[in-house]
Amino acid sequence: MTLNYRVLDWKLIGAVLLLSSIGILLIMSAQHYADSDFERTYFLRQLIWLTIALMVFAVVIHLPLRLFDFSAYLFYAVSLGLLVLVLLVGTMRLGASRWFSFGPINLAPSDIVKLTLVLALARFFAYTKLPPVSKRRLALSGIMMIIPVALILKQPDLGTSLVFFVILFVLWFWSGLQPLYVVLILSPIVSLVAASHWLSWVVYFAVLLVFLFLFRPGFLFGVITVVANLAFGMITPFVWNRLADYQKLRILSFLDPGRDPRGAGYQIIQSKIAIGSGGIWGKGFLHGSQTRLDFLPERHTDFVFSVLGEEFGLWGALLVLLLFTFVFYRAVRIAARCRSRFASNVVMGAVAILLFQFFINVGMALGFMPVTGLALPFVSYGGTSLVLCWALIGLIVSADYHWQEY
Amino acid sequence: MQRYGIPLERREKISLTVVFILFLVLAGGLTRLQILQHPELAKQSENNRIRVVPIVPPRGLVTDCEGRIIIDNRPSYTVAVVPAEVSPNITLPNLSALLGLDTTEIRKRIKKNMVSRYQPTPVKRDVEFETVAILEEQMTRFPGVTYQMEQVRQYCEGLVAESFTGYVGEVSQQDLKRGSVVDLRLGSMIGKKGLEKQNDHLLRGWEGTAYLEVAASGQVLGPFEGKHKIAAVAGANITLTIDIDLQRACAAALDTFCCGAVVALDPRNGEVLAMASYPGYDANIFSSVVPESLWQAMSGDTTHPLLNRPLNGKYPPGSTVKFVTVGATLEEGIINENTTQKPCTGGFRFGNRVFHCWQPGGHGSLTAAHALEQSCDIFMYQLGLKLGIDRLSRYFALCGFGRPTGIDLPGESPGLNPNSVYYDKRYGENQWTRGLVLNNAIGQGEILVTPLQLAQFYCGLANNGVVYQPHIVKLISFPDGQERTLQPHVSFTLPFSPKTMRVLRDGIRLTVEGEHGTARNLKNKRYSIGGKTGTAQNPHGENHSWFVGIAPLEAPEIVVCAIVENAGHGSEVAAPMVGKIIARYMEKKSARSGLSMTDEEDKP
Repeated sequence: MTLNYRVLDWKLIGAVLLLSSIGILLIMSAQHYADSDFERTYFLRQLIWLTIALMVFAVVIHLPLRLFDFSAYLFYAVSLGLLVLVLLVGTMRLGASRWFSFGPINLAPSDIVKLTLVLALARFFAYTKLPPVSKRRLALSGIMMIIPVALILKQPDLGTSLVFFVILFVLWFWSGLQPLYVVLILSPIVSLVAASHWLSWVVYFAVLLVFLFLFRPGFLFGVITVVANLAFGMITPFVWNRLADYQKLRILSFLDPGRDPRGAGYQIIQSKIAIGSGGIWGKGFLHGSQTRLDFLPERHTDFVFSVLGEEFGLWGALLVLLLFTFVFYRAVRIAARCRSRFASNVVMGAVAILLFQFFINVGMALGFMPVTGLALPFVSYGGTSLVLCWALIGLIVSADYHWQEY
Repeated sequence: MQRYGIPLERREKISLTVVFILFLVLAGGLTRLQILQHPELAKQSENNRIRVVPIVPPRGLVTDCEGRIIIDNRPSYTVAVVPAEVSPNITLPNLSALLGLDTTEIRKRIKKNMVSRYQPTPVKRDVEFETVAILEEQMTRFPGVTYQMEQVRQYCEGLVAESFTGYVGEVSQQDLKRGSVVDLRLGSMIGKKGLEKQNDHLLRGWEGTAYLEVAASGQVLGPFEGKHKIAAVAGANITLTIDIDLQRACAAALDTFCCGAVVALDPRNGEVLAMASYPGYDANIFSSVVPESLWQAMSGDTTHPLLNRPLNGKYPPGSTVKFVTVGATLEEGIINENTTQKPCTGGFRFGNRVFHCWQPGGHGSLTAAHALEQSCDIFMYQLGLKLGIDRLSRYFALCGFGRPTGIDLPGESPGLNPNSVYYDKRYGENQWTRGLVLNNAIGQGEILVTPLQLAQFYCGLANNGVVYQPHIVKLISFPDGQERTLQPHVSFTLPFSPKTMRVLRDGIRLTVEGEHGTARNLKNKRYSIGGKTGTAQNPHGENHSWFVGIAPLEAPEIVVCAIVENAGHGSEVAAPMVGKIIARYMEKKSARSGLSMTDEEDKP
């Protein structure tokens, strides 16, 4: 397919390219004082990955969007197969089997499934005749999302699983389900948390009832919501109180590894010190003392934002936040403009992945989000993640280019 | 666009609003850290380092049924290094001289136990106070070295109780891989064997954390202000069913022999009253580093001190399982309580082989109960032939043999209960003779049992056929005051009708009280006792001596099963030993009731 290159969204591409370049600089700085040559050259390998990612991007924008539309379910099925395969033969690393190893290259199939799930759900929502609140529609899309989550939960990875939920919720909303319903569907989980104290739960339940009364989502839906909330609220304190102290602690540290102060909690303290000590102007490229002194763990992957905060200060970090925000702003505008419902859904799915990972990762570095091991899109070290993110950008750019097509 | 509940413009607007709100949240967090908290965090970054120190809670105590401590903790010093602060040329040689470990050994230990380069990594546990004093005085000679107070496990009963206490050791890579415990870290302690392993999750508690501010020189400045310490949760205390008096009596009784085991159970609930294995080892040696030489010596010892005989010793049971043979035959209706077999003349011809009775002169014509009393082999051979290998094996299985008892201790052996499938596999189909059943009928041949399985079976005989699950933990007391009592539960019921049980109980009684009883020496006026002797031939030399005793017979409270390896006839060695142990139990019981009687008399 020949493209008129002038019409491509160069502002969007430029912003993402800038983010990727900043990523390479940060990885270089993060491992500049590392002991081994291997670690010092991480940035070179990231550079090679960026080249590959750009090639993938080029391929994606040259392929017709309709191809992705037609084969969405096929891609989805194949990627599920990969997930099953990684469960069977995946290499154990860091206590969880999340990777395929092909020599030096480690492939994370869960990254691929993020993409294929977006395609499959986009296709489903684009062509289904079921009304947005129909139970079948919610259930079918829910099942499409929950299968990969179940397969990934077997490899303990809470963060990635949450990405899948977010994709589903965003696409529900984008394909017409009122946010109210998304809130109500999520409400039993809130009930679970609120039930930790009877007062908070009573307040929460009162608010829920008022909410239901004001918005009247339909009788059956309302009843189900109330019953589900009651059930979750009753069960929690009952089960919780029967647990011994050490069991409670174990559950809490699974949900929030930051509670384990020798592992992730230590990382958060060090990350906050790194960012905070950077101040407005930063300590300068290659001059971050936290980074240099090895205090900052996982600094080229999960905590790469901390390196940014320490070395480039507030202005550098804000610049990156603005670049991301610009990308999301553009993408949402594109999604709203697309005439093809499939393309529009794909773009919003891509936004869901990138926005969620961005927010959780930066929030973690700033110390108010749990440590989940989600990478910062475009910036963190990691080949598959980079390629996936560029593939998503490819889809967005392509959707924008063909926005008039149905 | 009719289908959509909300118009596209509104959805777009909502989405963009969310994007901007998230941006504002992050920008806000960034501003807070980099402008408001900047001075404080910059100071921490430049001048200080934070050391995260685990607060190790005391491991739970273990007491016997009367609250006497079996496993205690005692304070000790552990020398540790912070790898990142070590200067290899100064620290290692000095430390090596101080601790008496060579530098490669120290490096090896650091590598094994290191969690992070910034956290103290234990090098040697339980060091002398003098060592710590030297460290404290000459700090400059030991950059990067620290010491911590730590609780070390103290096994108060040393060699007496190690068969069930087990021991703790440093967390290994395999422990981490198993990943059952969330807060496991290298360098900390974990239960490795016995109840320490089985109940590790209860005993270990939950580690807390202290944050210390450490100057660049390595000097501790005090607690770090930015984060509150997290308190540790102590481990749960465990009360056992063991009676330490009885346990000591068992260990003392075994002490005069080379090797053996004793298990004492309460047939009314399955409680393990005592469990001893001999020879044993001192569980305290595992609290510190076990020297390689000692380890080699123990694993190479031909008396196998590391083998936990009550659970893992697999022995031919000898005559002790004749109750299964007789019970099965009665139950199948092949004989009744009055039926006699061909008279015993001391030998029994089967095919072209003669099988002997232990009594060369023969026992003559006997009924079932008397055959048990005198432990006649010829009688059993004939029953075995009538039953056949598979029926006999099925009854062995129904009596709990060939599978673990399910006691709450790790690594129990199932023993071996052979049937025709087993023999087909072992010798090939039709390549074995029916004569094998003769051996199994008297507890010889391939069948192997653990002392615990045998004790469990006799508990069933003592308790009208109802077998309680053997267990050693009685009560768990959590640090928050909650207590959990472990209720005894029925494991299975022996496959014998009341009528059959009457005959078997006669056999048990006659063994001691009968005129020709093999254990008639145990008869005494103070209490009634019953049981069964066993003399097991084995390929390792002299016969194993078995005895299982039940007392008091009217209402059994204790079953004691003893084996002494290669010591001779059951009636000569094991029976008197069990007699002594039961005597100790009855003494204690009468002392207790005597006490309570005087209490009542004291009342006005």
